[in-house]
Amino acid sequence: MSDKISDKIVIDIEHISKVYEMGNQQVYALRDVTIKIHENEYVALMGPSGSGKSTLMNILGCLDTPTDGKYFFKDDNVSEMTDNDLAEIRNREIGFVFQTFNLLPRANALKNVELPLVYSGMSPTKREELAEQTLVNVGLADRMDHKPNELSGGQRQRVAIARALVTNPAIILADEPTGNLDSKTGDEIMALFGNLWKNGNTIILVTHEEEIAQHAKRIIRLRDGLIESDVENPNFKI
Amino acid sequence: MKILFEIIENLRMAFQSTIASPLRSFLASLGVMVGISIVILMGWLLDGLDNSFQKTFEIIGADMIYVDKWDWTGGKGWKYYRNRKNITLEQAIRLRESHKSAELVVPNFNQWGKSATYDKETIEGISVVGAPSDNQFTPAGDLIDGRYYSEFEDKQGALVVVIGFNINKALFPNGGAVGKSIKIGNRKYEIIGVVRKRGTFIFDFIDNQVFIPLNSFIKIYGKRVRSVNIGIKAGSEEKLNLVRDETIGLMRSIRNVNPNEENDFAINETKVFEESIASIRNIIWISGIGLTMLSFVVGIIGIMNIMFVSVTERTKEIGIRKSMGAKKRSIWSQFLFESSALTFGGALISIAVCSGIIYIAKISVIKFFPDMADVAEFFPPYLSPKLVIIASFVSIVLGVLAGLIPAIRASNLDPVNALRSE
Repeated sequence: MSDKISDKIVIDIEHISKVYEMGNQQVYALRDVTIKIHENEYVALMGPSGSGKSTLMNILGCLDTPTDGKYFFKDDNVSEMTDNDLAEIRNREIGFVFQTFNLLPRANALKNVELPLVYSGMSPTKREELAEQTLVNVGLADRMDHKPNELSGGQRQRVAIARALVTNPAIILADEPTGNLDSKTGDEIMALFGNLWKNGNTIILVTHEEEIAQHAKRIIRLRDGLIESDVENPNFKI
Repeated sequence: MKILFEIIENLRMAFQSTIASPLRSFLASLGVMVGISIVILMGWLLDGLDNSFQKTFEIIGADMIYVDKWDWTGGKGWKYYRNRKNITLEQAIRLRESHKSAELVVPNFNQWGKSATYDKETIEGISVVGAPSDNQFTPAGDLIDGRYYSEFEDKQGALVVVIGFNINKALFPNGGAVGKSIKIGNRKYEIIGVVRKRGTFIFDFIDNQVFIPLNSFIKIYGKRVRSVNIGIKAGSEEKLNLVRDETIGLMRSIRNVNPNEENDFAINETKVFEESIASIRNIIWISGIGLTMLSFVVGIIGIMNIMFVSVTERTKEIGIRKSMGAKKRSIWSQFLFESSALTFGGALISIAVCSGIIYIAKISVIKFFPDMADVAEFFPPYLSPKLVIIASFVSIVLGVLAGLIPAIRASNLDPVNALRSE
């Protein structure tokens, strides 16, 4: 449980921009964005569609690289990394939770949660042990053998969260995690994120819903590729 | 260790996705199966051919040279050889006496178209061979029963005979030939030995021979109008060249062949068959390779196509895997394992089907075409491990070739776009 923000900086992006070439026009998805995120922060990244929040999320999640500017993840300069180095960072340091869950349809819950561990080179027995434990932690002890189509939306998102947690990553990056869920299930998932934060995880929530953003301690608003505001959430309550 | 775990995982995934849609996998690898089946059956045919070749070597003797008026290849036409002067017994004996490098020089006469009778049974179309007693040291002297005649019996012109396998089978189906008397022409001979089965479909006639002492032959059939056939045993294959050269030199001088004239006799040896079998091999290879290549090209295109479909269908999955930290290597190896699983699975089916085919083919040939049983004997009733290994290896190479481009395309997908696809 932490009221004070840790000194350790996890994400440090400086003056990054992202430019897309559309024919012979240059479109700025992000302009000169600078953000620092410390360990165990709970940040909501807000903005309407076209604001650049998805682009920013992709860069923060090391799925994409900025056109300009610098990105340090912990102390590594991510903006100059190769595809394979980025893959390693994603594997070790980042846990993704997506709006559409993005589970592998042919694999059961357990195999889905094991997936990131496959790419970190863990032995099959250790993998299974860890994935089982993580599924128990998100309340799915009795659903391990079920395939995604045998699970409810909320259960699927729990599997996805377990998959994000299983490598014990530095940040959890959740992209509209309640977007495909009814409000009651959405609340349950947000409560789960709250618990994760209390247990020391760093959470970045990408959303366009004001109500969801209010769960976070710090809210960064984007508009037209620029940071509009970056403030502590006055309504934050645990 | 890390790599090993990933390989195991890739194998598991490849296996899963192959059996996830069995019909699709089967159809996709059909072309490869056809190609591999051709390779297997061709290899099996060649194995059988090699066996028969080996057998031919044993019959003729790999270290034997036969000097004859007639050339086994028949290269220059029957008339050409007919017009040659006969090789006389005196010439053969001079060769035998002056040959230094050969282990054995055995002249023999042949009389075709005789019949042999025992009790009421008669076998037609046998040939009577008159040879000295040391003929027993050539491949014709390998007996299953009794003994060969001695030098003394030869000098005496004794009426003893060593019979070939077919004669033994026809006249003495229950055995016990040795000690009995048979009639060949108008004379009675005592059977003293039986030769092992030597012939196959290649040299069937060879088991229709009977051997009698040279002097007995001369007494009965005469030697005037006959040409002698001279068997020369080199002792080893290494000595063949030396023995051949000496034989040619001696024969030319014995038969007074001028230095600018061609040999007026033929040197026959296994090499002749080596050449004709090599050409059969080549025909099988060339036609087989053509068919194989064709079906492999078709097969590779089939697999490649299904792999492209698979990459497109699973773009989202690739995006998910990449976001979870899959490196390019992980992605392309996953697809290569999958395409190889398809072709390897195809190879296993081909191996199973071909094993069944050759087993049934062999059994039914022996059962329904007893005349061909000799031929069938050369063909093994199962696939050699060598063929199974070759088929498996080739299938994996094909899988890698077919999967390469789709796999590289998959590994180069941009994770952001891949995740966005539906």
